[in-house]
Amino acid sequence: MRNPRTGWLLLSPTLIILLLFGFAPFLYVLFVGFNQWNVFSADDGLVFNGLDNFRRLVFDADFLHSVGLTTRFAIFAIGSEVVLGFVLAQMLTRNFPGKSLFRIIHTLPLMVAPIAVGAIWRLLVIPGFGPAPFFLDRWFDFTYQIGSYPDQALWTAVIMDVWHWTPFVTLTMLAGLSAIPREPVEQAKVDGANRLQVFWYVTLPFLQPVLLTTVFIRIMDAIRTVDEVWMLAGGGPGTRFTGIYIWRVVFPRTDYGYGSSISLITLYLTIVLCWLLFIAISGRRKGEVE
Amino acid sequence: MKKRFTFILLIAFALLANMSLVSADMHDWWAEAAAPYAGETIRGVSESTPPSNYVADVLAAQFTELTGINVEFETTSWDQMYSKAINDMEANTGIYDFVYIEQDIIYSYLAQDYLVNLTQFAADNADLAYEHYDESAFTSFADYFKNADGDLFGVPMEAFVKVYLYRKDLFEDADNMAAFEAEYGYALAPAENFDQYRDNAAFFTAYGESMDMDLWGTTVQASTGHPASTYEFLESIGPSFGLYNWGINLDAGSAQSANGGSLDGDTAVEALSYWLSMLEYAPPEATSSTWDEVASTFAAGRAAQGWVYGENAAWIATDDSRSAVTGNVGVRLPVTAPGVIEAAEMGEGYIGYYDGGAFGIPHSSRNKEATLLWLQFIGQPSVQAEWAAVGARITHTATFDDPLIAEQDAKVDGYYTLLEEQGPLFAGAPPFPFHAQVREIIDPFIQRAILGELSPADALSQAAAAVDEELSRLGYGM
Repeated sequence: MRNPRTGWLLLSPTLIILLLFGFAPFLYVLFVGFNQWNVFSADDGLVFNGLDNFRRLVFDADFLHSVGLTTRFAIFAIGSEVVLGFVLAQMLTRNFPGKSLFRIIHTLPLMVAPIAVGAIWRLLVIPGFGPAPFFLDRWFDFTYQIGSYPDQALWTAVIMDVWHWTPFVTLTMLAGLSAIPREPVEQAKVDGANRLQVFWYVTLPFLQPVLLTTVFIRIMDAIRTVDEVWMLAGGGPGTRFTGIYIWRVVFPRTDYGYGSSISLITLYLTIVLCWLLFIAISGRRKGEVE
Repeated sequence: MKKRFTFILLIAFALLANMSLVSADMHDWWAEAAAPYAGETIRGVSESTPPSNYVADVLAAQFTELTGINVEFETTSWDQMYSKAINDMEANTGIYDFVYIEQDIIYSYLAQDYLVNLTQFAADNADLAYEHYDESAFTSFADYFKNADGDLFGVPMEAFVKVYLYRKDLFEDADNMAAFEAEYGYALAPAENFDQYRDNAAFFTAYGESMDMDLWGTTVQASTGHPASTYEFLESIGPSFGLYNWGINLDAGSAQSANGGSLDGDTAVEALSYWLSMLEYAPPEATSSTWDEVASTFAAGRAAQGWVYGENAAWIATDDSRSAVTGNVGVRLPVTAPGVIEAAEMGEGYIGYYDGGAFGIPHSSRNKEATLLWLQFIGQPSVQAEWAAVGARITHTATFDDPLIAEQDAKVDGYYTLLEEQGPLFAGAPPFPFHAQVREIIDPFIQRAILGELSPADALSQAAAAVDEELSRLGYGM
């Protein structure tokens, strides 16, 4: 008979690391979030202020604006990545000339650090010096200035994110598609299903776990996006996402208490969003089966 | 004749021998004083600027060679520098042995007791006190880093003023002069008032357009994603209109006119309106430009005139590998509104920003003694002139008279003379212990004004109200 103690003993290093570096910081942020704490205030100690920080953020126009921007960014970026990733994965399930080379080139952005991606795109789009504004102006008479037009900054951030992360979605989708057994697809075709019906009733249900996992990962990534966008536009209007807003509150403003409360709410919103998405997708499909 | 020649030869030989002895003595002193710390590594962090890069590339290696103490010097972005330094000092982690202290943040650091009192520390460690390092040799800029007792908390490593740069080749071109006079009815010249500045800007913007050149009338440091825009408005444009101390009345604890402040007053609105109107004559990168991009814009020959930090003046004027306008850079005092210069001369105001910083030792440092040696090394007279020639920074009074600087001064159109003679008209940031906190509050309003989402009056009115709210939250308000 196996001794459960051995199992716990073997698990203990991982558990200790998780507790130390995962759970303890979370508890600390939770504690700080209920205090007023700015090291550059006249009274620089922690002062318990109950729910004041949370009440404050409900009326904080800058925070609410950042949530709105982040939501728009996440919807457009992830939506585009899923569609593009699926199309590319479908393409990669077939053979075509140069497939291996395409796969390598397509995957390259994944290997670039987010901060470097931001720097590359900044060099591409910086007004006055970057090739993108130059050619857009020269060929289409289009004024492209991310510093002057917040919408352009947001769309540039979305396109940059799509360029960076679509390969990840492609790879996960490709893995999902490769794992689908051939029999149900062939059976559906024999039964007279067209391509759309095969996709909707066979491929998509089989892809659901992969799709959900991918979307969850991308949602969490999108909500905490900081470095890429920071390099691109400095978190100015149009790109002052929640992650950047938190960074500004916690670091330059050193408002640790308020910054912690925003972090907690952001975490809560992320969990709720993922849960709703899970219910929406898995619940709907479950209903369909019934 | 032969006797005289022999005599001169002997004198020269004696001088050389003496110099080599002194040099050998200096080498010996550094090696001896640093012996207990040889092999140690001290770490520092600073913003990547021409003076800091000289420290990283030149001075650190020289110090290591003399002492055996390694210097790891991280030159990073301005934001990262602050975050890293403050987090380290606040958490007492001791990652950094020396940190860059910008003039405007010193009051916050002193209020938090982050820094070692260098005067006291040197006195307590007399065996580490280098005889050629003298705190009284620094310019008056060092006063910003002293406490009420006159003790120094940071060794000044850079000091410069934000000046008015203009393209001499454009301003002295005969055709341009004639065209300008025909259009505006007076001679083309570097601006001395805001109307003239606007005329110059409009003229050269139109000129660039008509000639299909990448040339605009002025630089504007108006990044909408960086505090640089707030700094240009509050520390350069505002004072030149007569708006001082960011419009915040520290005694009253308010920025609102109704409570004794002036951030939302008429002068501030006039200054912001004027500055924003300059965007019409600025290159397209203006709304993405921090101080670095402004210098690059001017160096690339894309602006006829502008407000440029002095630390960039030397390389823009002399470094062919980085600048397209070498030999054509004119330097003047920034333009001011009537009465502002007079107020500055009487000590009742200032015309612009006297910028700079120092290196200090955090209390959290684990290698204070070795770092004290390092700070004395960079604060000694012998390294100042070359550093000043490269970085356009002067922290020692004697550096102004160095032949190398005199030579460089001519190439930079008298920038160093201006710094020496008219530097007192400029001033550092106000002594706020909440500098970054309040600036962060003002940033979004200035950025929205740049984007045209708020009028200057609305932006400043809302900013002043938000500042008052933050001051109150921080415990400095009414």
